[in-house]
Amino acid sequence: MDAAAAKLIGAGLAMIGAIGAGAGIGIVTSGAVQAMSRNPDVTGTIQTNMILGIAFAEAVAIYCLVVALLILFVF
Amino acid sequence: MSEKVQGGWRYGKARWVVLAAIIFGLFLFTGFFGVGLGIKPIMPHVFLPGENLTEHPMFGIEGLYLTNTLVGLLLADLIVFLLAFGVFRGVQSGKLTLTGFGGAVEALLEALLGITEGTAGKWTKQIFPWFATITLLVLAANWSGLIPGVETIGLVHHYEGHGNELIKVGPFQTIWDNSHAGEEAHGDYAIVPFLRPVSTDLNFTFALAIVAVVMIQVLGFRSQGVGYLKKFFNFGTLFSKPIFGFIDMGVGLLELVSEFSKILSFAFRLFGNMFAGAVLLFVIGSLVPVFAQSLFYLLELFVGLIQAIVFGMLTMVFMSQATQGHGDEHHEGAH
Repeated sequence: MDAAAAKLIGAGLAMIGAIGAGAGIGIVTSGAVQAMSRNPDVTGTIQTNMILGIAFAEAVAIYCLVVALLILFVF
Repeated sequence: MSEKVQGGWRYGKARWVVLAAIIFGLFLFTGFFGVGLGIKPIMPHVFLPGENLTEHPMFGIEGLYLTNTLVGLLLADLIVFLLAFGVFRGVQSGKLTLTGFGGAVEALLEALLGITEGTAGKWTKQIFPWFATITLLVLAANWSGLIPGVETIGLVHHYEGHGNELIKVGPFQTIWDNSHAGEEAHGDYAIVPFLRPVSTDLNFTFALAIVAVVMIQVLGFRSQGVGYLKKFFNFGTLFSKPIFGFIDMGVGLLELVSEFSKILSFAFRLFGNMFAGAVLLFVIGSLVPVFAQSLFYLLELFVGLIQAIVFGMLTMVFMSQATQGHGDEHHEGAH
């Protein structure tokens, strides 16, 4: 196989990790929305914690993205 | 309503029809005739590190070049200074309630202060400046990439084996996409933009992350003194409770590792989001030359704001965690 083709396949494979982050963000948001609908008074606190949780879940996807970008543009 | 329309030429409605026709015409032209004539949008070459604008290092220091991301940092700084100046003028005007620009900034900062008070408690005064400064600077840096002309206007530089071909059109020279169906463009020239948003440079995000994590430790020591180290080196229960003491020690060492992984996670989150956003705008712009990019501009506006708030908020939450004691002792007024 030619190296350029291998690079493209590798970058595509690296992004598989985004699956987990997508599921994670969905779970976090679903829990937060349920909590907010049950107790609208604490919406502010829940939102802050929800954004934090999303940021942590998203970080994994971002690592995948960085690896994919490194494969594509650096190596 | 119907009487007004009858027989009347409604300018308001016709305007939208004309606009739609123009956009549709542009689509048709670039889609069918443009590519056939060889006029097609050029996919800019993507460089991961900031590109050097000058041939020689600055001030004669080895390896210190004027990169376009450094110019982007100056732009972001300028935006923050203008923000500060606008608020200063609003305060100088002597009105009790700020209006207009100053009022908008006040509302933003008040929202940030509210979040900080909810989390940090009595350490709000020490933590809020870091939160607000990081959020404002990163927001300015992220959104500076959306200003038209940033990342697009620049000089053609020579890059061996990268980019496109150089051709002459009358008295001018320009780069030219010489690719044919199914193969890549070849050439040695690429446009190096004068400006690039600074958050697409790993050096900036790493520097900001190191500053944030070091200040988290500083605040931890300020609030708890040397006892802050107990969070990492927890040998106190090692001999009194052999099994759980050992687990406590392991947890402490994991905390130590997680402090270092915070730096990586901070830096790569911001860099990854913003760099991917820039590449996304490049790709969409080269696929569909008109209109489609606007939708992704909206997405980038949102991502830039979220990433700025997330960077600031994570710093703030880690700082307030560091100031609150670990384990049994609960400081009063911490919540």
